[in-house]
Amino acid sequence: MRIISSNPFKNLTWEKVWAFVSKYSYVVSFIGLLTIATIINPRYFSYANLSTLLLQASIKGIIALGMAILIICGMIDLSVGSIVALVAGLGVVVLNYTGNPWATLAFCMAFGALLGSINGLLVAFGRIAPFIVTLATMSAYRSIIVQLGQGGPFNVNSDILPWFRMIAAGNVWGIPNLALIFIAIMTVVAVIMSRTKFGRYVYAVGSNEQAARLAGINVNMIKIACFTITGLLAGISAFLLMSRLTSITAPNAGSQFELDAIAGVAIGGIAMTGGRGMIAGSFMGALMVQMIEGVLIAARIPPFLNGLVKGIIIIFTVLLQRKKANN
Amino acid sequence: MILEMKQISRYFGPVKAVDEVNFTVGEAEIHGLLGENGAGKSTLMNILGGALQPNGGQIFIDGQLIEDMTIHKSNALGIKFIHQELNLVNDLTVFENLFLGQELTNQFGILDRKAMIARSLDVLKRIKVDIDPIEIVSNLEPSRKQLIEIARALLFESKLIIMDEPTTALTNKEIDILFDIMRSLKAHGLSIIFISHKMPELFAICEKYTVLRDGKFIETGYLKDINEQKATNLLVGRSIVNSQHVKEIVHGPVVMQVAGLTSKGHFRDISFDLHEGEVLAITGLHGDGRGELSESLFGARHVEAGTVTVHGKHLKLGNIRDVMRAGVGMVPRNRKERSIIKDMSILNNLSIAFFIAKHKKIFIDKQEEIERFKRNQKITDIRAGNIDDDITSMSGGNQQKVIVSRWLELNSDIYILDNPTQGIDVGAKFEIYKLIEELARRGKSLVIFSSEFPEIYKVADRCLVMYEGQINAELDREHLTEINVMFYATGANKEGINANNIQQPV
Repeated sequence: MRIISSNPFKNLTWEKVWAFVSKYSYVVSFIGLLTIATIINPRYFSYANLSTLLLQASIKGIIALGMAILIICGMIDLSVGSIVALVAGLGVVVLNYTGNPWATLAFCMAFGALLGSINGLLVAFGRIAPFIVTLATMSAYRSIIVQLGQGGPFNVNSDILPWFRMIAAGNVWGIPNLALIFIAIMTVVAVIMSRTKFGRYVYAVGSNEQAARLAGINVNMIKIACFTITGLLAGISAFLLMSRLTSITAPNAGSQFELDAIAGVAIGGIAMTGGRGMIAGSFMGALMVQMIEGVLIAARIPPFLNGLVKGIIIIFTVLLQRKKANN
Repeated sequence: MILEMKQISRYFGPVKAVDEVNFTVGEAEIHGLLGENGAGKSTLMNILGGALQPNGGQIFIDGQLIEDMTIHKSNALGIKFIHQELNLVNDLTVFENLFLGQELTNQFGILDRKAMIARSLDVLKRIKVDIDPIEIVSNLEPSRKQLIEIARALLFESKLIIMDEPTTALTNKEIDILFDIMRSLKAHGLSIIFISHKMPELFAICEKYTVLRDGKFIETGYLKDINEQKATNLLVGRSIVNSQHVKEIVHGPVVMQVAGLTSKGHFRDISFDLHEGEVLAITGLHGDGRGELSESLFGARHVEAGTVTVHGKHLKLGNIRDVMRAGVGMVPRNRKERSIIKDMSILNNLSIAFFIAKHKKIFIDKQEEIERFKRNQKITDIRAGNIDDDITSMSGGNQQKVIVSRWLELNSDIYILDNPTQGIDVGAKFEIYKLIEELARRGKSLVIFSSEFPEIYKVADRCLVMYEGQINAELDREHLTEINVMFYATGANKEGINANNIQQPV
């Protein structure tokens, strides 16, 4: 017999550290990124800056939360950006007609959920791959709103505009409203995913669909629910976008949101193969995507290269995940 | 071709898959190779086909020693292997499949479609199969695909054909045609090695036989000198089962009644009763529809006809949750694919089914989950370090105990266990057997699907033997012997194939 290690405690500690690092990899990368940003710009690490970061990240971040649910369930949704555009465009019409923000919010959530559930129904009962279904609806939803807008923007009426824009621009005791909403929604989603049966089922379906089915889980219902929730969150995101921009241009609104959401989920340590990951990770991931944009600007890297950096990050994190899985 | 394999051995680690086996096939001879699952038939044939290298022994073909057999060499010698599973490319046409890897080309290196189609037509006509060579393979019935496999072996010059259970997917008529083809090949001087589990077929077509058991050569001879009972005895051996059935047999009231259950292409007209506290084993050979039956009983597979009644109430089949709530639990086969949720912790893997049937609260209470785990750990003796570790960190036996616990927690009255000891070590197997006995003692009823006789003998009060999708025999404890099980599982009680058609699952 060979003596493996002279000091077993030393080994144990490293293993524990490694286990912690791989489980909470998003915390480590968040601290790393924050350090880099602070080195480039010493004033980066300030309250004003960080609350702005949360504010900027919130609208896309809410979508990243939905995307996280879908990816944990072993699926993906490319149509979220188009759902935002379609819901926001028609949301402006509803707002101008009713003048009631609650009615508009209800419309946005319901309509978003409907669009998401169409994706879900096609995936579950049409037995089409989520990638294909949502690629098609990405094109379809966007096309509808562009046609309805006839190329022009949907503008919030000037009499509504002053108070309506305060939903996104306002703050409570110095904390931006958007940041509060983002954190509140994140908390609700995180509790659903970690503390309810439904959350448990989502993880099970994403990990092993066959075993989940044989354990009695209604796999189709879970899939439809995941898409519906993602649609609903995209609807909320659309509502906030309306308030922030007060003018929705159909061809651009929400474009590339799916990329940012997927990038956030990937950096957030959620397994792209499904079944693994935490909602808090996708929350931090969404912040990191926003930070990277800031870092690029501070480092005087042309903003056109944003997409390149995000693309590299997605590929890189997936490669890292695979390496971890092989270990 | 005269084939002689002498003293062939092949080890997989410490396991002697084939141990100094002698095997001889003469010119123009149809030779039946018999043995149970794991007897070494496939290993021996893969050595002949060049797919596996032997650890010892020699192969002579027409008296010449062949060294370092490879797939290529074996092909060049005219040895063709028709595999049991289909190796066809579904999206290509019939002729493209037939010539796959050996395409005919013209002088410019361009594929010669016409010549290939013509030759395909030739060979299909020869085996009296009416298939268009330019048909896409995926449009064909499974039995026709099997015929294409056979056609492929005949396309090029061959001297010895190995057929590994070629009839599993075929209909009666097609089996008759296949046998005609085999006879005509034999008349042309070809030799055929025919592997089958079905006694009537073996006696109908083969003249000689060789029996393997546990990797060892047992006997060779002429089939006309033995009968089906003798063949079964040779297959099984007089192995003494060293485990005792300790449970006393009880006959409580009927808790589950299955009547006329039929699923097209898998099984038909399955009827049986299950009593309280009874352990009922269902066994058979590969392709008997057992696996599909177990799924149907649990509502996981569509059935065309028949009913399942639990406690006097009809089960809504096809809905797993309804079946679960009616008090039926199931441990599926192939733990890795069908039971384990690999990204989840040991704890969460255990509680997943409980949520479906019993959990009524909004939030999950981790403390309750841990209590649930501890309670089951006592019953099933799960050995786990940290219950928050991934389930994949455990041994196969412990994983299976977690899966069994998953269903125990539902406190079902009926448990369906499909190959419950698959891929787990001997120690864990015995613990599972103990658990089965314990459950039966508590008045639970169990249906155990298994292909291992020692296991059945150890736990079962009664055994149903399936053959080609139907229940061929019911054996009570008194008649439960390995020889009897084999006899009925191979359909040895059925008459010869040409005289009286074997019932095929349609």
